[in-house]
Amino acid sequence: MTPLAPVSVPSAAAYEQLFQQAPCAYLLTGDDGRIGWVNETFLRWTGYERSEVIGTPLPKLFPIGDQILYSTHGQPLLAMVGAVAEVAVEVVGRDGARRPALLSAARTAATDDLPATVRVIIFSAHERRRYERELLAARRAAERSESQRVDAEADLHHLALHDSLTGLLNRAALTGYLQAQFDGSGPLRPGLALAFIDLDHFKSVNDSLGHRAGDELLLTVADRLRGAVRGTAVTARLSGDEFVVVDAVTEPARIGEFAQRLLSVLNEPVLIDGVEVVPSASIGIAFAGQDTRTPERLLRHADIAMYRAKVSGRNSWQVHPQHNDPAADRLRRVGELRHGIERGELVLHYQPRIELDGGAVHSAEALVRWQHPTRGLLSPGEFIELAEDSGLVRELGAWVLEAAVAEAAGWQPVAGRRLGVAVNLSPRQLGDRNMVRLVTDALQRHRLDPSLLTLEITETALMLDPDAALRSLQALARLGVVLAVDDFGTGYSSLTYLKRFPIDELKIDQSFVAGLGVSDGDEAIVASCVQLAHAIGIHAVAEGVETDAQRASLAALGCDLAQGYLYSRPVPVDEFLRWCAAQG
Amino acid sequence: MPPGSVQRNHVRVLGRPDGPTVMFAHGFGCDQNMWRRLVPQFLSDHRVVLFDHVGAGRSDMDAYDFGKYSSIDGYAGDIVEICDELGLSDVVLVGHSISAMIAAAAAAARPDLFSRLVLVAPSPRYVDDRSAGYVGGFTAADIDGLLDSLDSNYFGWATAMAPMVMGNPDRPELGEELTTSFCRTRPEIAHQFARVTFLTDARALLGRVVTSSLVLQCSDDILAPVEVGRYVHRHLPDSAFRQLRATGHCPHVSAPEETGAAILEYLRSTAPVPLSIAS
Repeated sequence: MTPLAPVSVPSAAAYEQLFQQAPCAYLLTGDDGRIGWVNETFLRWTGYERSEVIGTPLPKLFPIGDQILYSTHGQPLLAMVGAVAEVAVEVVGRDGARRPALLSAARTAATDDLPATVRVIIFSAHERRRYERELLAARRAAERSESQRVDAEADLHHLALHDSLTGLLNRAALTGYLQAQFDGSGPLRPGLALAFIDLDHFKSVNDSLGHRAGDELLLTVADRLRGAVRGTAVTARLSGDEFVVVDAVTEPARIGEFAQRLLSVLNEPVLIDGVEVVPSASIGIAFAGQDTRTPERLLRHADIAMYRAKVSGRNSWQVHPQHNDPAADRLRRVGELRHGIERGELVLHYQPRIELDGGAVHSAEALVRWQHPTRGLLSPGEFIELAEDSGLVRELGAWVLEAAVAEAAGWQPVAGRRLGVAVNLSPRQLGDRNMVRLVTDALQRHRLDPSLLTLEITETALMLDPDAALRSLQALARLGVVLAVDDFGTGYSSLTYLKRFPIDELKIDQSFVAGLGVSDGDEAIVASCVQLAHAIGIHAVAEGVETDAQRASLAALGCDLAQGYLYSRPVPVDEFLRWCAAQG
Repeated sequence: MPPGSVQRNHVRVLGRPDGPTVMFAHGFGCDQNMWRRLVPQFLSDHRVVLFDHVGAGRSDMDAYDFGKYSSIDGYAGDIVEICDELGLSDVVLVGHSISAMIAAAAAAARPDLFSRLVLVAPSPRYVDDRSAGYVGGFTAADIDGLLDSLDSNYFGWATAMAPMVMGNPDRPELGEELTTSFCRTRPEIAHQFARVTFLTDARALLGRVVTSSLVLQCSDDILAPVEVGRYVHRHLPDSAFRQLRATGHCPHVSAPEETGAAILEYLRSTAPVPLSIAS
C-alpha cells in the first residue's frame, strides 16, 4: 500500500472544491442579506439555479415567519454581536417545499477597502444527523485499518499452515500464532479473546448421514465463521468439530455481540443430502491476560468455559471468569444478567403518577429492579448500561413490558377509575421490528385496554433516527397506546420534528423540575415545556417532584401529571397498591 | 405614581444631565442594547434615557403581567410612569418598530410629557385591511406563520440564540452580558409580545397624536414597507417624513450614523426658538 503523500498546502482548486462540495451550504452575503456567493451544496439542496439566488436577500428564501424573526432577531444579533449560532429556520426550495435547517452566521465588519460580509452556514437538519453517523462510521473504519497494519506480520502465519479440509489454520498454526502474540516485544494486544467453538450433536450428524455429510457440515461451519469475523480475526479448526476464533474485543461489553454473532451464523439451517440440519454450538471464551500468557492456558480456559456452556444447555456461550480484571468482571456480569432474566430475578417497582388538578392517582411508572442473589436489590443504573451494551436490553425490555402489562391488568380500579401503567422503551426496542407484535400480544394476552399503557421513549432515542422512529411510533400509535417523550429538554430539541411524532405526552426532565424556585432558567424551561405540550394538544408530565413548592409551581403552570418522592418513591407492587388504597 | 418603574424597566440615564432628554424605546425582538451604536452621538449634548420593556432584557420578569401587556397601552403606561418617576418633561421619545406605536400611545395619553416623537420603521397595523384599502404588508396567514415559527422554534429564537463559543475579536467592546443575553427572553413572553406587535391595529391612534413627529422610513424593510411609513406620515397631524438609505428593519443598528444624523437634524430644525432671541 502506498503511504499517503504528506499533506501540503492545498491548492486554490482544492479550496474551491472544499467550498463547493462541502457537506453543508455555504453562503456569503452583505449586511443587507443579499447573497453574493453560494456553494453547489446549497444549490443542489434547494434546487435553485445560481443565477436565481445571487443578489436575492437570503431571508427571502425563508417562510414569512422566519423572515420576520430573522429581521427582528437574527440581523440585529449579527450586527451587534457578530454571530448567530444554530438558529432553526426553514428554507423554501425551488419546488416550494420547506426544508428544516440550522443556520449559523458570522459577520466580518467592513474595513476601509471592503464592505462588511456575513459568512453563513446552513445545515440540513436531517442530513446533519446523517453526517454525524457517517463520521462515527469513518472513525471506526480508520481504527480497523490501523489494527490491520499492526497485524500484517501475524497474517503471514495465516498463509503458512492450514487445515486440509477447511483451509482454516490448524492447531499447530494457531499455537504458533498465539505464541507470537505472547512473545511480541510490545504489550499484548488489548482485549485479545479466544472463542472455543464446539458443535453440538456433531456426532449424530456423522452417525446418521455419514462422514461425507459431516465434512460438508464442517466446511459450511468454516465458511460461516470466516464470513462472520473481521479480517483481523484468526479462525482455526483444532480437530473434529472444534473450531477457534481469536480476535481483539477491546470493548468488554461487545463480547456478547461477538459470541452472539458466531452463534447466529451457525444457527442458519443448512441442507445436506436433502436433509435440513440446524447447526448449533457451545462457545467458551477466554481473554489473554496475566494468568493466561501461554497458548495452552488460554485454550484450556476457553475449553472450560465451553464446557460450562455445554452443560448449561448448549447453543450458548460462557466467558471464563478472570478475576482482578474489571473488564472480565463485566463479562461475568453480562452472563449473570442473562441468567438473572431467565431465572426471574427481575422485579418491577412502581411509582405513582398523580393528576395535579385534584390529586387523583392516574397511573404508575414501572421501573425494573434486579434482585441479585449476592449483591442485593440493584437499581437500573447498575445494570441497564450493561444490558444495552451487551444486547440483553431486548430480552430485558420484553420482560418488563410483559410483566408490567400482566400486573396492571389485575389492578382494581381506584375511586372508580382504572389505573394505567407506563413502561420505558429503550432505543433498541424502538428499532425492533417485533416491538409492535410484542405490545399487541401482551395487551391481548392480559386483556389490558391499550389506552392504559403508556410507552416512554427518550428524546435522544427519537432523534437517533427520526424517520425510523416515526414509523415505529405510528405503528404503536395505531394500537391505541399512549406515547410519551421522556427526559424532554435534555436532548436535541427541535420541535419542528417533535411535532411530526404521534406523541400524547411530554415528560419534563427532573433536572429542570429540581430547578423550580431555584433557577429562573429552569423555571422558564418548565413553563415553556408545559405551554408547548398544551400548544400541540398533549399532556405535560413532571418527574422528580420532591417538594410541595415544586408541586405548587407545576400546578400553577398547568402541568397535568406529576411523579416523584413527594408522593412516593418507586415501591414493590403490593406497597404501591396499598398506597393507592390509602389515597382513596 | 407607583414607585419602582426605574428598577422594573431597568432604566439607565446617560449623557449630559442638563441637556434635553431623549428617551429610546426598543422594539420587538431585543432590548435597550439595540441602541448601543446610535446613542454615542447623543451623549455630549443630551440626557439619554434607555430602558427595557417588561419581559425584555434585564427588566423585572416578575412584573410581567399577561393582562397588562396584552396591548400596547400597558407598555405606553410604563413609559409615562418612568417619565413621571424621573420628573422628565419635554422628552424626545424615539420608538422603534412596535415601540413607535407605543410612543404614539404615550404621547396621545400625556402630551404634556413629550416635545417630539421619532418613529423608526413604524407600522400601525401589519395585517392588510382590504375593506379599508389598507396595505400593511402581511396577511393574517402570514402572522399565523410567524407565531408558528416562534412556537416551533421556541428554544431556537427566544431563549437559545446561543451564546457564542467563538470569541469576538472584532468587537472587544462588547461585554459578556451582551454576548450572552442579547435578544433572549422567556418564550411565552416572546410569543405574547409578538402577538401584541403583529396583531395591533393602532391606525385610529395616529389622529389623536398632537406631538410633532418624524417618521424614519427604511429601504427594503420587510416589516414596514414604504407605503406603510407614508400612511403613518399622512395620518399623523404634525409629522415629517424622512427616507433613509439604510436597509432592513433596524437602521439604528445597521446604519447608526445616518440614523443619528437624521434624528439630530430633525431636532435642530424643529427646536423651539428661545424666547429671548425671538422677541
